Amino acid sequence: MTTYPILTILILLPLAGCLCLAPVWNCRKSARPIALGFAAAELALAGWLLFAASGLAPAPGAPAGYFLWEDAAWIERFGIRYLLGMDGISLLLVALTAFTSVVAMLVSWRGITERTALHYFLILLMESGIMGVFLSLDLVLFYLFWEVMLIPMFFLIGIWGHGRRIYSAVKFFLYTLVGSLLMLLAIIGVYLIHGDATGTFTFALPLLVKAPIAHAAAPWLFGAFLLAFAIKFPLFPVHTWLPDAHTDAPTAGSVILAALLLKTGAYGLVRFGYPLFPEAARGFTPLLYVLAITGILYASWIAYAQEDMKRMVAYSSVGHMGFVALGIASWSPVALSGSILQMVNHGFTTAALFALVGMLDERTHTREVAAFGGLWGKVPVFSFFFLFFAMASAGLPGLNNFVGEFLILVGVFRTTPAAGAIAFLGIVLPLIYTVRLLQEVLFQTERRPLQLPDVTLREGAILAVLAVIDVYIGVHPKPLLDILKVPVALLTGVAP
Amino acid sequence: MTIADLWTIMPLLILACGSVLMLILGAILPGRYGTAIGVAVCAGAALWALQTPPQPMAPTLGVAFTTFARAFLVLFAVTALLSLLLAHDHAVRQGLEGEEYPATVLFGAFGMGVVASAANFLTLFLGLEALTFAFYILVAYDHNRPASGEAGLKYLLMGAVSAAFVAFGIALLYTATGTLEIGRAVAASAAGGGIALAGWGLLLAGLAFKVSLAPAHLWTPDVYQGGPTPVVAFLAAGSKGAAIALFLLILPPLGDIGPLRAPLWGLALLSMTVGNLAALLQPNVKRMLAYSSVAQMGYVTLALLAGGRGYEAAAFYAVAYGAMGLAAFGALASLEEGKPLELVDELRGLGYRRPFQGGVLAVAMFALAGIPPTVGFVGKFAIFFAALKAGEVTLAVIGILTAAASAYYYLRVVVNLYLKPADEAGTGRLPTAAEAVCLGAVTLAILALGVWPGPLFDLAEAILR
Repeated sequence: MTTYPILTILILLPLAGCLCLAPVWNCRKSARPIALGFAAAELALAGWLLFAASGLAPAPGAPAGYFLWEDAAWIERFGIRYLLGMDGISLLLVALTAFTSVVAMLVSWRGITERTALHYFLILLMESGIMGVFLSLDLVLFYLFWEVMLIPMFFLIGIWGHGRRIYSAVKFFLYTLVGSLLMLLAIIGVYLIHGDATGTFTFALPLLVKAPIAHAAAPWLFGAFLLAFAIKFPLFPVHTWLPDAHTDAPTAGSVILAALLLKTGAYGLVRFGYPLFPEAARGFTPLLYVLAITGILYASWIAYAQEDMKRMVAYSSVGHMGFVALGIASWSPVALSGSILQMVNHGFTTAALFALVGMLDERTHTREVAAFGGLWGKVPVFSFFFLFFAMASAGLPGLNNFVGEFLILVGVFRTTPAAGAIAFLGIVLPLIYTVRLLQEVLFQTERRPLQLPDVTLREGAILAVLAVIDVYIGVHPKPLLDILKVPVALLTGVAP
Repeated sequence: MTIADLWTIMPLLILACGSVLMLILGAILPGRYGTAIGVAVCAGAALWALQTPPQPMAPTLGVAFTTFARAFLVLFAVTALLSLLLAHDHAVRQGLEGEEYPATVLFGAFGMGVVASAANFLTLFLGLEALTFAFYILVAYDHNRPASGEAGLKYLLMGAVSAAFVAFGIALLYTATGTLEIGRAVAASAAGGGIALAGWGLLLAGLAFKVSLAPAHLWTPDVYQGGPTPVVAFLAAGSKGAAIALFLLILPPLGDIGPLRAPLWGLALLSMTVGNLAALLQPNVKRMLAYSSVAQMGYVTLALLAGGRGYEAAAFYAVAYGAMGLAAFGALASLEEGKPLELVDELRGLGYRRPFQGGVLAVAMFALAGIPPTVGFVGKFAIFFAALKAGEVTLAVIGILTAAASAYYYLRVVVNLYLKPADEAGTGRLPTAAEAVCLGAVTLAILALGVWPGPLFDLAEAILR
């Protein structure tokens, strides 16, 4: 079965969906099911991989840990290859991507009434780009997908967004571009320095990591990679694009942004940043700790002051991603597994929260905390899910985020107790703003008379599936951790 | 001159004779055949150049019809062909029918071909002047608009000064080395002392005008704004390509560029920063694209400065910029109804009202900004690759930062196209079939070369060997 180019199919299937949307460009009714069909097919493929992966034999010619592998010449003049590979880390994120794309399509099923085909076209394009990011192992190919992701998101925010949508879209695009262009120079630098040192000129990650860069320029190169990834992450102080982009994005845009785009930054650091420059990365570890912890505390503080719920969820994302950064900085097997698991968890939980806020917005056209109150009595099902996901996000034991945060903290305590101790505050602080949010929105008395029907069957189904996943990972994370075990052990250099 | 020589330079002859014959034909049979004949002539020249084996030299003519010359001649003929397709309906709309236009375009393409195949400095100079001369006329061609004439005059005055620089530079190089043959003169100039260096200085100054490198770029925005838009498309795509070909003829024989590094470094730095910064707040779309072309040529200078793989990157970028320039200005030209499009603002909502041209323009903008998967990205990648390989780290970092800044003004066009509501009145024509063919071809080239650039790099390597 490995004879099929499954990884290429994962990347091309959404693109095929884009093409199939062309004939029904002006027909909203048929555009939506076609797009959803392709996303569902992609999800089925990713889901099948998730279950079948453990049974797959290691791919021939692939380095340890990779069970799917595709390699072909692309631009030979520069030694650039079409090199795709899937290990456990990629697998989880690919599954998350496929799942989130379906969610993003479903949550915007009703809300998008104009240019519907274009909307779904962009979501599919984005899915393809993100799949590429999680699968490419050639630095230039990775860069290509990394940039391609920007364009659909720019349009999603700019066309269907709210408020200062153009400002936010341009800010998002430019912010990420500055970081990634410097990374492009660093990629070329890695190629040249590695080639001069070893005689093998290549952009292929598996070859590059065999002889890590030990050159005076290594910190600069790692710095460029770190900047690009930190902007996507986003780490304090380069996070300022995120609240704007999230607030002004349409619901589907927010869901994808939070659940997937932020993960690409963390993934890049795990897959490329640390393995390419182990020495330099060690030098940057204190800085990463400081940035991560500052981000966690600062974001929680700012989130407490937000009046706009979407902005509050956006800042909470900054905080959660700070935890992910913390786990990466400690670079121990436990913490790193926790970080990657937390990336997945955050994807599910925050996607749900953005979807919930989006539902409120769709019904009442406001997202202000002060406009709501007493929802518990009026819309019980909605309120249940709101409470559930808010508590999951705050790290309630038994739900998924707790597992990730716990593993990260355990790992960090072992390597750097001081950082772990301060980061512990980061578990407590989200409780404060979450409880405030819940108390004001769900309980209290009704503050404005709002027409507010409860969740529809479609919305309820999305939320229920997300809730089941949250509980499942929360009580039984072992299958996912098993998938991560080998790649994480290989990355951290501990025998699996 | 022998018959063999004539066979060698046949593609050039096709272009030149086609131009002359068309003028004669116009006197006898006035009508609308001009474009069709012009397209046929260009296609003929390109096909002939493709099928002839490379000829080392036509000694008595100062022309070497090498692989390099053939490849560039094909590029110029195709560019001329595509811009003729663009210009036809545009000229009819502006009330400018006539054979002069295609005849002059052919003459310009002939000049470009001569530049690319020159083996001696005099031929080079003649080719350069022939092509610039054609553009003086083309820019001033729209006699219904005073701005066009004004732009032509500005271009002529600046161009004349730069021609003087180039001629004087060539004379000094001749004095220092005693030969006009490009390869030998350039190689000997390294040991030519002060006079040769002065010659190089004047030559570079003159060429900086032609390529519009800062600080000799001041004519560019005026000419781009005033000239008829299809002409500007040809000017951007063709004359920049010819200038790159010229640099690729005279720089590689030097081996080590030695003392030329400093002036080229300065030109690259200034062009990248001045071009990109001036374009940032420019409300006029054609002026903005003019400044963008200054910046793009700054990147090419960076590649030339790097040498080696940089020459390849520059040759690649000649094709890349040709496609991007034709796409950007071509889309604008085909949108123009009566008066030219002036402000970026006028493009509001056109992405939906005119999806084809809007899409082409958006692709061109992303390509110029260097976003993958377009030829603009691959071109920039090759340039920065060469620059880092040659150790020009400072300039590469500055260049990439200015490229990041440039994304803002390219995005401004996209924002207007797709993110802003259209005007009630609404402007923008539907494309004609000829325009659709031209725009479709260049857009396809932008995307195809962005995904599969390997063969073009191989070609660039082969012609520079």
